[in-house]
Amino acid sequence: MTDGYVQQPGSNTDVRVDGKRVAGKIKFNPPGSGGSRPEMADRDMDFIPEVEGGNESQPAGQHLHDKYRTGTSVGKRTPLVDGNAKVTGQAWYGDDVRLPNEIIGRIVRSPHHYAKVKSIDTSKAEALPGVLAVSTGADAPQRFGVLPVTKDEHAMAVEKVRHVGDLVACVAAIDEPTAREAAALIEVEYEVLDAVHDPKKGLLDVDDPIHWRGQYHIGSTNVQKRVFQEFGDRSKLEQARATHHGKWKFMGVNHGFTEPHAVVAHWDSNGRLQLYTPQQVPHYAHRALATVLDVPMHQVNVIRTFVGGGFGGKSDPFPHEMCAAILARKAGRPVRITFDREEVFWVNRGRHPSHIEVQMFADEDARISGFEIDALIDGGGFASFGHVTSYYNGVLATAPYELGSFHYTGARVWTNKPASGAMRGHGAVNTRCAIEVGMDDLAEKLQVDPIDLRLANLLPPHSKTITGFRITSNGMRQALERVREGSQWDSKFRKLPLGKGIGIGCGFFISGSGLPIHWDPNKFPHATVHIQIDMDGGVTVHTGAADIGQGSTTAIAQVVAEVLALPLEMIHVRSHESDTSPVDLGSYSSRVTFMNANAAISAALEIREQLVDAASGILDMPAEYLILNDRRIYSKRDPAIGVSYLEALHKSQEDKGALIASGAYRTPPMGGVHKGAAAGLAPAYSFSAYVAEVDVDVETGLIKCTDVWAAHDCGKALNPLAVEGQIIGSCHMGLGQVLSEQMVYGRTGHLQNPNLLDYKIPSVHEMPNVTPIIIESCDPEGPFGAKEAGEGPLLPILPAVVNAVYDAIGIRINDLPLTPDKVWAAIAKKMKREDIAEAQDLPTPRLDFSELQQKIVQRSSQHGGRDSRRQRSEDTDPYINGVLFGFDPTVPPEDQDGDWKIAVRPTSEQLEGLGLAGSAWTKIEQRKMEDGK
Amino acid sequence: MVGDEHVSMIPAAHTKVWNSEVNGQPQEVLAPSNAVLLDVLRDKVGCLGVKRGCDMGTCGCCAVMVDGQPRLSCLTMAQDVQGSTITTVEGLADGAHLAPIQQCFAEHGGSQCGFCTPGFLISSQALLDKNPNPTDAEISTAIEGNLCRCTGYQQIIQSIQAAAEIHRGDASPAKPASSAHSDPHPSGPN
Repeated sequence: MTDGYVQQPGSNTDVRVDGKRVAGKIKFNPPGSGGSRPEMADRDMDFIPEVEGGNESQPAGQHLHDKYRTGTSVGKRTPLVDGNAKVTGQAWYGDDVRLPNEIIGRIVRSPHHYAKVKSIDTSKAEALPGVLAVSTGADAPQRFGVLPVTKDEHAMAVEKVRHVGDLVACVAAIDEPTAREAAALIEVEYEVLDAVHDPKKGLLDVDDPIHWRGQYHIGSTNVQKRVFQEFGDRSKLEQARATHHGKWKFMGVNHGFTEPHAVVAHWDSNGRLQLYTPQQVPHYAHRALATVLDVPMHQVNVIRTFVGGGFGGKSDPFPHEMCAAILARKAGRPVRITFDREEVFWVNRGRHPSHIEVQMFADEDARISGFEIDALIDGGGFASFGHVTSYYNGVLATAPYELGSFHYTGARVWTNKPASGAMRGHGAVNTRCAIEVGMDDLAEKLQVDPIDLRLANLLPPHSKTITGFRITSNGMRQALERVREGSQWDSKFRKLPLGKGIGIGCGFFISGSGLPIHWDPNKFPHATVHIQIDMDGGVTVHTGAADIGQGSTTAIAQVVAEVLALPLEMIHVRSHESDTSPVDLGSYSSRVTFMNANAAISAALEIREQLVDAASGILDMPAEYLILNDRRIYSKRDPAIGVSYLEALHKSQEDKGALIASGAYRTPPMGGVHKGAAAGLAPAYSFSAYVAEVDVDVETGLIKCTDVWAAHDCGKALNPLAVEGQIIGSCHMGLGQVLSEQMVYGRTGHLQNPNLLDYKIPSVHEMPNVTPIIIESCDPEGPFGAKEAGEGPLLPILPAVVNAVYDAIGIRINDLPLTPDKVWAAIAKKMKREDIAEAQDLPTPRLDFSELQQKIVQRSSQHGGRDSRRQRSEDTDPYINGVLFGFDPTVPPEDQDGDWKIAVRPTSEQLEGLGLAGSAWTKIEQRKMEDGK
Repeated sequence: MVGDEHVSMIPAAHTKVWNSEVNGQPQEVLAPSNAVLLDVLRDKVGCLGVKRGCDMGTCGCCAVMVDGQPRLSCLTMAQDVQGSTITTVEGLADGAHLAPIQQCFAEHGGSQCGFCTPGFLISSQALLDKNPNPTDAEISTAIEGNLCRCTGYQQIIQSIQAAAEIHRGDASPAKPASSAHSDPHPSGPN
């Protein structure tokens, strides 16, 4: 260990008294003195695009940011800039914030599923020595919720408790034992109400719905949101050559982040609230805190600690954050509340338990003539992000395939369970699993290869989906081709012996939500970034982007470093405090890289312009002759003619001091005009295709996923190391849902496994060997071409595994997770039905191609040419969903065909035939009832 | 906790002096006689790098080395390890210089959100201390008690293999991508 491991440069030989090595002193080198790296490095031509004269190939065409590439950082495998804090234990998470004089808060939770709170007696708790504050719902009557349209939460129960674990009261005391004891001394009198646990029962009229929405309430049911969407021509469905019908049940799953929620609230000496919380979305927490505490937003400073995993589970404003602030205000001392793992399950916000029914149709040319989806999702006790989830379960199934028609009915119901919410792959995961398995089944019925069936039905780049989403870059085709090749699909599919199987699945996800949650008339940007450079040359980047481990801080630092051609170590990202960070909407809907990095680039470009102008003045040379590289600005023709970055900086600082620039990002206008058109809109979409190989033990039903080839189109990998990490991590989380994870509610509706022993997250032994494959389709609007890589990669793993299980044992199971008991029951059932004595004699599916196979291979090869042309083209012709069915791409299909429909409400004739979730439409809203209520 | 069951917390257990060597320094603190090691390390000694993830020995975030053996500090009574030598994540580095395992976790993507990282570092360092030439299967066995929700373990295994190479002397540690403190005032090409 002679060199390396240098935390700070300097002596490697000096040792401390304990024999360990001492950090070296940092030498400060006056300008021009040389320093630790006195000479400029060569331009790294491997990371400069072809069009700019470099060696980086651009199969997907040019990008408007190409001319700002300096070969410094973008595209290089970059360790996280906060990695050293994490490996040394210095990263400070929620519970690591220890303020002087702190006291400990505990929350009193409901033991009942559903009850009226008749009275709360806090006197015994208050009398306990060491108790400094007690609070109940009466202290915070204001409602809040992450979505402004569904504010249905309180800091603590005001009238009713809605699930076991719902907050009733809270206490703060000098230490944890006293706080726990005080919590136990709070006496609550409940009147227990009839609880609803089965989401199907949530569709029925009841005496006492879990929430009451006044004139907008749907009947007297527990339906929180219902959606109906119909697009295209359904009249052709009857002539389908192949149909698929799948009825699915998905259990709820929890994010399972390793850091339990924790919060520290402190009202400082000026009476401002300083709230430390591991939040993915500090801005919405900021808004909700101001509302509930009845203080202006500028009197609240939300400090995001390091976040020990989010995955959507730390994106709501939480009642315990309010509780900590209320207790701290009452006690006059900082209050820290840390959850037990059990409490994490009570606050939940995990993926919705769902009943999903899909019907899919393919016509005589193996085109997809229609998707019909019905999704009933179990929202638990609160709305959370559910309004959006209700849409996403349908609309995110409208790509990557070109559809003849699309019909979706969705409903989200309140039940007396911990609330469901947003979780990685928000709303898209379960439906995606159902339709990708449906594609596999359609391929089987058409007797074609499922990858070829997909390749022959893809929407091209720069096209519009049937619901009007604007697709820009699209690497779906390359993703499918790469996994087919990597997995040696053609020599394995339907050819493996019993118990071994291979399966394919695709994914499609938004890269940032097109509209902000707070639909703002003032047209605030989605992301704002400030850059500040003082005379020392260090670049301070202020952003509100919440790094939750995905590496957003690193990505922001990288793009700024790239534009300014500075080493990453000179970029300092400050993103923790709302006092200093400009508003960023937070880490959800896979928006951070796309939106925040775009904002950072625009701020950096402003700085770049000032530096280049200054250099141009010093050198007396036009700005367009200058290039930036490694801390210098110099002539393109002769690198010796130039100035250092610091010289240019000091020149441009004359008379004004620090350079400051602000950049912002807003989405372009897009989307249709129908109700719900905004849900699922995004400035770009990611695409992915996975092939999974499994071993199924036919004697026990145990499934082991052995290999995954995972191709994901992220536009451009700013940091391939992080993108691969996201892909592999997504496989892990998706495998959990498909093989082992479930929130088990017993017969009485009680959650039986609120701990990490019974809630089975895959360990290292369950992980397959994942081969991540990065597809770069160069998104025209993304930062340097990048799109999301955090959520989309989760989607394909579920159907890939389910399809692989079918390939292995010839049985489709539509009930996740595929635990051994379910798999074995399905095997036993099949053996009984087909009179098979030994499991080893189960037949495995085999494939004989029909005449269609050749037809679709031909079509997909034609489309391949079309797609590569469209991908590169600078201004592409219009392409709307429907061209495959003979429509003219320049005219909306509804104007070409009288049978082409766009509807967002069912007609009265349709009401009878709707599915489970669709039946929510048979109820009438209160305001439309004659007598009212 | 939810429900009627309640174990009285007060009066709290009497406090006792607890002493051990933590990260090379002798420590003497007053702690409740029934305290688990995790609470003593976090709340009394101040080693906040030791993480609490589940309270029941399922996640491995709280792993520390007790006399060279990895132990789950949430399941270890502090009094049982009285007088031992304890190493937490804060004690892995060679002073200001990162240990190979730390450097490799940072460099190979072994750490994303970082909350499970201290536990993984302890488990893998304990493995490398015994076996500087582990197979992937041996690594998997060593870290099977640690849950990671971000990485899918693959880059963690790669990080540990990279550190093992350094321990064996097969590889010299990677130089930082660029100098940690570049002079912003370089001269032109030489």
